[in-house]
Amino acid sequence: MLNKLSTIASGIVFLCVSLSLFSQEKKEVKLENYFGDLNARQIGPAVMSGRISDMENHPNDPMIIYAGSAGGGVWKSNNAGTTFYPIFDDHTQSIGALELDPNDPDNTIYVGTGEPWPRNSVSIGDGLYKSTDGGNNWNKIGLENSERIANIIVNPENSDEIYVAVLGALWSDNNERGVFKSTDGGETWENILFLNDSTGCADLAIDPSNPKILYASMWEFRRTAWSFNSGGENSALYKSTDGGENWFKIHKGFPEGKLGRLAIGVSKSNPNTLYTVIESEKNKDKGLYKSTDGGKNWEQKNNDFGITVRPFYFSRIVVDPKDENVVVKAGLYGSISKDGGETFENLGNMHADIHDMVFDINNSDIMYVGTDGGVYRSWNKGVTMEIVENLPLSQFYHISVDNDQPYNIYGGLQDNGSWYGPSFASGGISAKHWNAVGQGDGFRVLRHPAKNIIYSEMQGAENVWRYDVENDLVKTIQPLPVEGYEEYRFNWNTPIETSKNNSDRLYIGSQYVHRSDDTGNTWEIISPDLTTNDPAKQNQEDSGGLSMDNSGAENHTTIFTITESPLNENIIWAGTDDGNIQVTKNGGKSWKNVIGNVSGVPKNTWVYHIEASAHDENTAYVVFDGHTFGDMKAYAYKTNDLGKTWTNIIPDNDVTGFARNIQEDYENPNLLFLGTELGLYISINGGNTWSKFTKNIPPVAIHYIELQSQTNDLVMGTHGRGVIIIDDISPLREINADNLSNKLYFFEKDKFEIQEFGGFSDSFGRETQFFGANPSLSCQIQYLLPKRHTFGKMTMEIQDMDGNKITTLNPGKSKGINTVNWSYNMRTPKIAKAKTLSFGGFTSPTVPAGDYKVVIKKGRDTFEKVIYVSYKNNAKLSNEDRKFQFETIMKLFNMTEELAYMVFVIDELISNENTDYKISSKLDDLKKSLVITTGDNYVGAAKKQLREKMADLYSKVASSYDKPSSNELDNLALIEEQMNLAKKSYTKIIKKINPELMPKKTFDAFINE
Amino acid sequence: MKNLNYLLLTAFVLFFSFSVNAQTVDEIIENYIENTGGAENWAKVESVKMNITVNQMGMEIPIEQYLSPERTYSKISVQGQEIKQGVFDGETLWSTNFMSMKAEKSDQEDVQIMKDELAEFPDPFLNYKKNGFTAELMGTEVVEGSDTFKVKLTKKPMVVDGEEVPNVSIYYFDTENFVPIMMHEEVMSGPGKGMIMEAKMSDYQEVEGLYMPFSMSQGVKDQPGQPLTITSIELNIEADDSEFKFPETVTEEENN
Repeated sequence: MLNKLSTIASGIVFLCVSLSLFSQEKKEVKLENYFGDLNARQIGPAVMSGRISDMENHPNDPMIIYAGSAGGGVWKSNNAGTTFYPIFDDHTQSIGALELDPNDPDNTIYVGTGEPWPRNSVSIGDGLYKSTDGGNNWNKIGLENSERIANIIVNPENSDEIYVAVLGALWSDNNERGVFKSTDGGETWENILFLNDSTGCADLAIDPSNPKILYASMWEFRRTAWSFNSGGENSALYKSTDGGENWFKIHKGFPEGKLGRLAIGVSKSNPNTLYTVIESEKNKDKGLYKSTDGGKNWEQKNNDFGITVRPFYFSRIVVDPKDENVVVKAGLYGSISKDGGETFENLGNMHADIHDMVFDINNSDIMYVGTDGGVYRSWNKGVTMEIVENLPLSQFYHISVDNDQPYNIYGGLQDNGSWYGPSFASGGISAKHWNAVGQGDGFRVLRHPAKNIIYSEMQGAENVWRYDVENDLVKTIQPLPVEGYEEYRFNWNTPIETSKNNSDRLYIGSQYVHRSDDTGNTWEIISPDLTTNDPAKQNQEDSGGLSMDNSGAENHTTIFTITESPLNENIIWAGTDDGNIQVTKNGGKSWKNVIGNVSGVPKNTWVYHIEASAHDENTAYVVFDGHTFGDMKAYAYKTNDLGKTWTNIIPDNDVTGFARNIQEDYENPNLLFLGTELGLYISINGGNTWSKFTKNIPPVAIHYIELQSQTNDLVMGTHGRGVIIIDDISPLREINADNLSNKLYFFEKDKFEIQEFGGFSDSFGRETQFFGANPSLSCQIQYLLPKRHTFGKMTMEIQDMDGNKITTLNPGKSKGINTVNWSYNMRTPKIAKAKTLSFGGFTSPTVPAGDYKVVIKKGRDTFEKVIYVSYKNNAKLSNEDRKFQFETIMKLFNMTEELAYMVFVIDELISNENTDYKISSKLDDLKKSLVITTGDNYVGAAKKQLREKMADLYSKVASSYDKPSSNELDNLALIEEQMNLAKKSYTKIIKKINPELMPKKTFDAFINE
Repeated sequence: MKNLNYLLLTAFVLFFSFSVNAQTVDEIIENYIENTGGAENWAKVESVKMNITVNQMGMEIPIEQYLSPERTYSKISVQGQEIKQGVFDGETLWSTNFMSMKAEKSDQEDVQIMKDELAEFPDPFLNYKKNGFTAELMGTEVVEGSDTFKVKLTKKPMVVDGEEVPNVSIYYFDTENFVPIMMHEEVMSGPGKGMIMEAKMSDYQEVEGLYMPFSMSQGVKDQPGQPLTITSIELNIEADDSEFKFPETVTEEENN
């Protein structure tokens, strides 16, 4: 019986346990609704800006210019290109084409996503978007699988008729390509020109005088991770004269054989004049061709380098709308012809790699040019160029951080070298705070863990630099070929790593792992060839198709990621671009390829990043990137046994966009951050589920993530929007169903440091330059709300431990994380009323170090938390000094309020008609010595009286990091003496007054009113 | 920016038993208006006087704001001095210059915008069709973790810098209780042109049977806003003409 009972009892217990487990699972937190006040800040830089893919201007308003960027969204200018602001931050940031409806250009805008200049590092798009309110709100209206859109044209006579040039997928076949047409404003689409699954429309133009006439250039192209092919039998230039129903080739005068990428430009002033740029088999046939009869006949005009260079990257051709003989061609430097294409000259000095340009609608001397380094303006037809300074479109491949205070961020950029800059700068982080530390394309930039040395590199490890910052000495340290080894194959984006176990150690990956233990002076190869060494993927000199393009960007069968376990220097991981995961547990003596243990990832998928766990030496995370095979799925796996077994940590496929990087939290191993091509994802359950973080992070490609270990700042290198930081992610460690079951949950952090800071910051150029936001230096009180507070009263106070109010704060109301900034301030003193304002009186004292209570009242509930405030003490003051400073401040504070009350009583008596005239007059005389009674707040200011002198000293002492100086104390003595004299006179006069006339309001009531 | 200061009164709620299935924009607005007391009771509100506190670095700045269909003022108290901003008597719009402490007039464009805005009093959604406004449900969006209906309200166009521009406000109504918790407006002029101004509303409380937000935060979208706390709201209070009058003849002597 007993036995049976216990069996039943254990059965019930089991049932209860499983039920509670079930309900736990049911309570899975949908994290994206709880981010609340957790916001990212974008710090640029804009100094080198980033690649622009398309420029567009307003047809009637010369002030309005749009720029579409390769990876940083759409930007609009309302001031003729002086400054820009982003208008597309909720959507895919890789932009192909922009179009304003010529019939409604103020409101109706189209954005085609997916850059059409398909270099190796190009991002992806996800369709066509439309705004009907000038860019404030957007709707996706189709072509989701187009991947890249090269051009959009709205019929100038019919807004419902839209033509779209879909270039289509770069890395794989797909059938959403060619020319699409809508006749209902984008509701439905018809593919009106399709050739095959590998040929897309690279350029599209309309005859401005007859919208039935269209020109479409079709381009056969394909990229793989190891090669690029431009051109084929299907590349051709087509014309339609019936709105796209029928198309015919217009090749009379074209070279024979296969064609590559063709551009088309139609003259607005004479629409029968056309220009095309032809990529063909023979070099002599390449270049600019012109037709003066609407495409019936073509004649080659120019074959210069500037016209024929890298057609896949530079193809755009723009004709001056006012002069058919002025033609501009995109290129390495950009070229302009003023004689109808016979001869060209380079555009003025600016960032190389010019992709698009527009002429001002009224004055063709004014041009806007989009380059790999942002937007440039010219006032003299492209002779002199000036850069737009507030486009933070920097395209990072990698970033890293150091442990300085404030910490610095290091990173390398697409076509823009290597840089480092601070996470905090007085007045904001601007161009002047960034320092160049490399040339060419930049990738890894790493600070030596212990010394003031920076490592950086350029493409293919052609140079790896060791920069001794203190002594301003630069040395190249890339490993050179040595006997006994094959020629090194370095990736375009070569991995370099430092070690957490040996500060002078450095790793570089070719097909071998190279290790140096003396900061790169000597190198040892510690691995065999870890790649597949597949010779079919090693013919980079043949890359390019019709135009050879061996830039090193297609180097393949290389090591792409290396990481040493922070817990064990003998455990090293290496991942290769051709799909191997190699691991050694003996410092490189032997390696094991563990890719065979991973299931669910197609063979040879690029091992993009390996992250060795900070919690366990046998644990690592791997991110795979299959996009170079056209596989856009996000892959991330975790092993706990050095690669013997692997767990898929994106089991629900709840991540959009292929992944490039993963970061594990240092404290909570279940907190993971995943960087994808379309933004940041966060998991708080070790990768069971993922939530997209969108607060001030657009769907931008996140190439690299670091977690700064002292500040808990998540630092991201994006490929199009520079560095983005989420300050202090520690609250994410505590979001769970348990904590959310509280009406209000204070996060654990309770120790805060008052930081003395100051310094100067100039504001020159702030009107037109980009300034990145700083982190808060305040005490950040953070709590979690299970639901947004919308109804009823909610208040927040800081109190001393006896419950006396120090100051009032405005509580956050968001569901999820709330952050309230307290500047460690008390309230400001009550200031005597006068004719003018006392600016010294706007200062509030800083609280002394100690324990304080945060008290939140929400409806009927009260929530309290004790916080501990100490000094960071960069001012190096003793406790006695601090105490004396605070006492002095409060002495002045109290004196100020005493004076305020005195003046209040005087004012009351003067305004009381029962006050004797003579007494009133005496009071008035006294008042004139206490406060200013004339003048204004600026240059009409009157002579300072006691109030101003007192408040000025109060403010001076209260704002200082230092203890009061002897001079300040002498000044205080003087003011005290004046105050005492004033009090004497006051008392003397008051004595004569009938107590009945005295105002009823007490000092305390006056102060607290 | 211009509209945002005057939106405080846009949300009154009486009952919380709404149908969450409301789909059309008319149903949302109807729920909002009808369930908060109905058009009739709304119409009885002739003026609103609010006491507001702005807390900046320990300095609590009291602001008194008065709104009626024709007149408005805001009075800021700093160090015992009252500084008036955005004062409108039906014809003249003026503010006090902080340097000279003297009144300065705004231009006719601003006057017209103010006139149009006050004409919406007490709520732009009340009689919005009769006023020629259009409302459009743009979908749902999560605001501070709450599901909201995104409603675009298009009012009479404004003239800004000599050009007629659309006058659009976007309201985010909490799907649970139909009160707006956020509002967006585009800046139409000046260096900030094109930026989106944002106001967030909370702490809805009862005032004479109507519910109004007692806490707001105003600023630029995606950046921390300036919070304001409303300490009291009074309805249908008379205000003296002198509160609105442009102080034409103030001189140094008189002021003493």
